Amino acid sequence: MSVAEDIGFFGKLPKALPGLALLVGTMVVIRFWIEPWMGNAVILDQKGWLIKVTHLNYILLGIIMGLLYRNVLFGGKLPDVFADGFKLSRLFIKTGIILLGSLYTVQAIIKLGSMAIFLIGGFVVLSIVMVLWLGKLLGMDRSMTGVMANACSICGVSAAVATAPAVEAKATHVAYAIATILGFGILTMFISPFIGHALGLNDLQYGAWVGTGILNSGQVLAACLAFNPNVAPGTAVSVGEIWNIMRVISIPFAVFAVTVWYWAGKEQPEGTKKSLSTLLLEKFPVFVLGFLGMVLLTSIGAFGDAGIKGGPPASATIKMIRDWMQWIFGIGLVGMGGYIDFKELAQAGGKPLKVGLLVGATKYVLALIVVMIIRDHLVEI
Amino acid sequence: MSQGGIAVAVDGSQASDGALDYALGLARTEGRSVTGVFVLDTGWADFIGNDWQSAAGARQGFLDYIRGQLEVQAEAARAQFAGAAADVPNASFSVIPGDPLEALVSIMAAGEADVLVAGAQVFQVCGRPSLKRLARNLVKRVKQQVVII
Repeated sequence: MSVAEDIGFFGKLPKALPGLALLVGTMVVIRFWIEPWMGNAVILDQKGWLIKVTHLNYILLGIIMGLLYRNVLFGGKLPDVFADGFKLSRLFIKTGIILLGSLYTVQAIIKLGSMAIFLIGGFVVLSIVMVLWLGKLLGMDRSMTGVMANACSICGVSAAVATAPAVEAKATHVAYAIATILGFGILTMFISPFIGHALGLNDLQYGAWVGTGILNSGQVLAACLAFNPNVAPGTAVSVGEIWNIMRVISIPFAVFAVTVWYWAGKEQPEGTKKSLSTLLLEKFPVFVLGFLGMVLLTSIGAFGDAGIKGGPPASATIKMIRDWMQWIFGIGLVGMGGYIDFKELAQAGGKPLKVGLLVGATKYVLALIVVMIIRDHLVEI
Repeated sequence: MSQGGIAVAVDGSQASDGALDYALGLARTEGRSVTGVFVLDTGWADFIGNDWQSAAGARQGFLDYIRGQLEVQAEAARAQFAGAAADVPNASFSVIPGDPLEALVSIMAAGEADVLVAGAQVFQVCGRPSLKRLARNLVKRVKQQVVII
């Protein structure tokens, strides 16, 4: 029986239409009716109280709606009629990330990227050391330690998915690791904007913090847009996503390193050995190349002025691309909300939960402290 | 008690030993047919659906890897059932794809058996976290008699 689950876009588009219509319709209702209503509603004698106090915007509302669809309206499972449409939400977000390349020039990427490497590198080392130590302390299985090391240090679920086959991790162990990391990521996605606003962080500081501290980097995008839904150079998403991309790029290298560590002193079965180049081909996320291509095009002025700080204002084309991005991310994140299954998260447990929570909380708090300490030295774009 | 067939969830681990003993004992005593069922969990793609960053190769590689483990477990379940049910005349075993809860509920809803027997921790050996509640959910959802061991 075939296990293929990714669908060809055009071939299966008709089947995806109902789900797609639900995603798009939800975002239209949120952006045209719910958000404006929240901005005008007078509660406790304050106009816009709902937005000022709850910090809810179309991104968080979209995720919450997706979450409610699955866990309340559909009783815990996406109905078949909507399932194919929801699968396309991953494509939406990847497309949005590619377009996000229009926020940067090559120089800006180099400036931000260098700072990201410094912060991420430090926290990767810290997380790996913590996982190895806790794994030993709790008597965690070696393959599970390998999966958790990459998941906690690099980018959460994506790293767990990429690492598990290379270290022969048991399905049930990986499942508990994923549930823990996803649960922690979702929690931090919702609380980070509140903390960021309460501490008066600016976009640069906030982006650097969540880009470093959120365990599952898949939630960095949503946490940034939840803090500031604007998509423009210098906003939280333009900072946090550089951190995210640096983390995603490192997946194949991290898988290679953990594989070498796992099989050290053991006889690796023939046919399972993979070189770094094979891992790069298999596990490198292609959308990153699209993002870099977009950065290059923006740098050579293919879309007109990019509206970078200190330069001329953004061209009409760039403004249009940024407007699309808000819709594309909004629609994609409704779908992502639809994949949050409380049944799975509520049952997370065991050693992965202990390790994930300890490392995740340490990383999250420590990243905030470090960003607060170096806040005046962060490089703006 | 009606004299229809018995369905027993088997996962090839100790978690199904008790259920298998009970189901086969009932089949021997009452002359009923018994079907061992292993559900090849297809819910993994959905389980990692929130991960939008993985490369297609990494995602598919992971799903294939999990599928491989489930197939090995299915063979262990088949062997466990065959070993225990060697002396039961109307015994059969089937591997069906699907969500374990929905698949077992469907079997019962289709009237393929009158009694469903399952271990309290069945399918947890290679399952997603939500399968911890499988037994409890089966009792809630299945209309016929459900025996949880």
